[in-house]
Amino acid sequence: MTTDVMIEAKSLGKRFGYLKALDKVSFQVRRGEVVGFLGPNGAGKSTTMRILTCFIAPTSGSATVHGIDVFEDPLAVREKIGYLPQRAPLYTDMTVWDYLEFTSRIRGIDAASFTNRLKQVVEVCGLAQVLGKDIGTLSHGYRQRVGLGQALIHDPPILILDEPTADLDPNEKAELLKYIKRIGKDRTILLSTHNLHEVEEACARAIIVSKGRVVADGVLDDIRAGQGQVRYTITIDEQQALRGSAPKAAQVLAALKALKEARGVRELPTDERAHRFEVLSSDRVDLRAELFKLAFEQGWLLLELRRDAQSLDMVFRNLTKGDEAKDRGRKPEEEPVDDRESDPGDDESGDDAAAGDDEPDDDDDDDDDESDDDESDDDDDEDSESDDDDDEKERG
Amino acid sequence: MNALFTIARREFRSYWDSPLAYVVICLGFLALGVVFFTNVSGQGFWQVDRATLQGLFEFAPIGMIVLVPVITMRLMAEERSSGTLEMLITLPVRDSEVVLGKYLGALGLVLVLVASTLIYPIAMFKWPWNLGAIDLNPVFSAYLGLVLYCAAAVSLGLLISSLTTSQSIAFFLTLLILAALWILGVGAEHTKGTLSEVLAYASTRSRLEGFTKGVIDTRDIVFFLSITVLCLVFSFRALERRRWA
Repeated sequence: MTTDVMIEAKSLGKRFGYLKALDKVSFQVRRGEVVGFLGPNGAGKSTTMRILTCFIAPTSGSATVHGIDVFEDPLAVREKIGYLPQRAPLYTDMTVWDYLEFTSRIRGIDAASFTNRLKQVVEVCGLAQVLGKDIGTLSHGYRQRVGLGQALIHDPPILILDEPTADLDPNEKAELLKYIKRIGKDRTILLSTHNLHEVEEACARAIIVSKGRVVADGVLDDIRAGQGQVRYTITIDEQQALRGSAPKAAQVLAALKALKEARGVRELPTDERAHRFEVLSSDRVDLRAELFKLAFEQGWLLLELRRDAQSLDMVFRNLTKGDEAKDRGRKPEEEPVDDRESDPGDDESGDDAAAGDDEPDDDDDDDDDESDDDESDDDDDEDSESDDDDDEKERG
Repeated sequence: MNALFTIARREFRSYWDSPLAYVVICLGFLALGVVFFTNVSGQGFWQVDRATLQGLFEFAPIGMIVLVPVITMRLMAEERSSGTLEMLITLPVRDSEVVLGKYLGALGLVLVLVASTLIYPIAMFKWPWNLGAIDLNPVFSAYLGLVLYCAAAVSLGLLISSLTTSQSIAFFLTLLILAALWILGVGAEHTKGTLSEVLAYASTRSRLEGFTKGVIDTRDIVFFLSITVLCLVFSFRALERRRWA
């Protein structure tokens, strides 16, 4: 048990009928690491986690958790793990207290230490206000917290969290990440998500999976550097110019493409009266001076110029390209519909809050519940909506 | 062991947290009262004019055919469709403990229902009324038979519930099978020779007849117990199948 490797997957394979869900997935997670497990929906994140928690068995390969083989002693493995499945499925007819007591009883925690642990969990997860409430009446955010509490009740050395922040509003997300960071100080955490923000915020290391394969594994900066790409966003006024007439989009596009170092240029949709472009280039040169000179020479009004060193988003898209398009024949809930990862560069533009709420979102109800339960979050709901809308637009 | 009883307890309690337990018990009482005190069955308590509860024991299993599926339909189907099964299974519990725990939880409620019918013999022959000297032995044997029948019926319900994610399908299928096993006995009464024997052999109705008359036949006990064990084993396999599917 003194080994430093807490979770080890050795060429895990899993087939669902003809579908290859996992293909030789190997990785290690060491003691005290908080690792982000990234990938588009349907990439095999949940499958891997279910194997690690001994819910399903791999078709090939093996895995050890805390030095225990998942085949040999599933019960011992589960004792070491706190697991929060996707969407935090809890018994809705129980109160939070009853539920936590139920899990702790199953885990063989006696009454005295349960009271003790409960205090800590309630404090860490912020559950004090809802302890006596039925889980069915809680908002999604609180349910996730209860799920997290349930995973922590036995003080496990390893936490496996499957998309803990999905369907949460930005405030809840931030708060949950805060909890996770706090918890992660003395635990090993494997956290799956398709949101890059969260990984950057909470994790030091990321494992990116796509189509059942590990496509990248390492410290975030390394993954980023490995791609060697930098993204510039440049915004040009469409209605007026410094000199001459206002530029046409095609004109600007051509000029940008003519730049020596530019690898890829594309126009980003905007709702302002401006053209916005994305320019990709190698991370060895800095194009900002070039871009400014170009704008000045052409007489364009440069509204914004930004260099995204943090183009993890691009890295992710490059690594998992084609994954979304390909129908992997999964169950509906796991279908690769997602493009939800928000753009790191887009946070600042969240102030045009009036954008409509037309994003197809099956969790509208939960959002409503949320606002009933926790009024302080109301103000920011709109912001979150517009953030997401912007992302939709950016993607075109 | 600890986990098993925790699961059973939760299961049993969750019936009382929802209206289900109350509805089931009310309906059971109502139906039993109607059958007991009126003559719809042709064997009404007053009409028979003897100190016997045979009418009650002939109709209690019919009531169970409807009530047991109501109780068992959610056992596994609900867990599977809502995803809570994943949460439960990834706790350090054996699959067998999950199956047995759920079984005991549901059986607990059914046994409460069975026990509540004790009010009839007590009220009629002990206190407040004493309508005659009743032979208690057939009452005991009939209760034994009823409990065995319930044990088998609940395990069947559990098995069906673990094969589907839809509670309504689980309900109707369990109802159908329980009713079919019962009706075979009616068929046995109206046929002759080997066919009649075969039907009676498989029918829960024919199997229960002995118990209501006060005859405890080992073969009947084994019949119900083997259905119970078989269904439990298959439920266990159905749960285990998820690992490889």
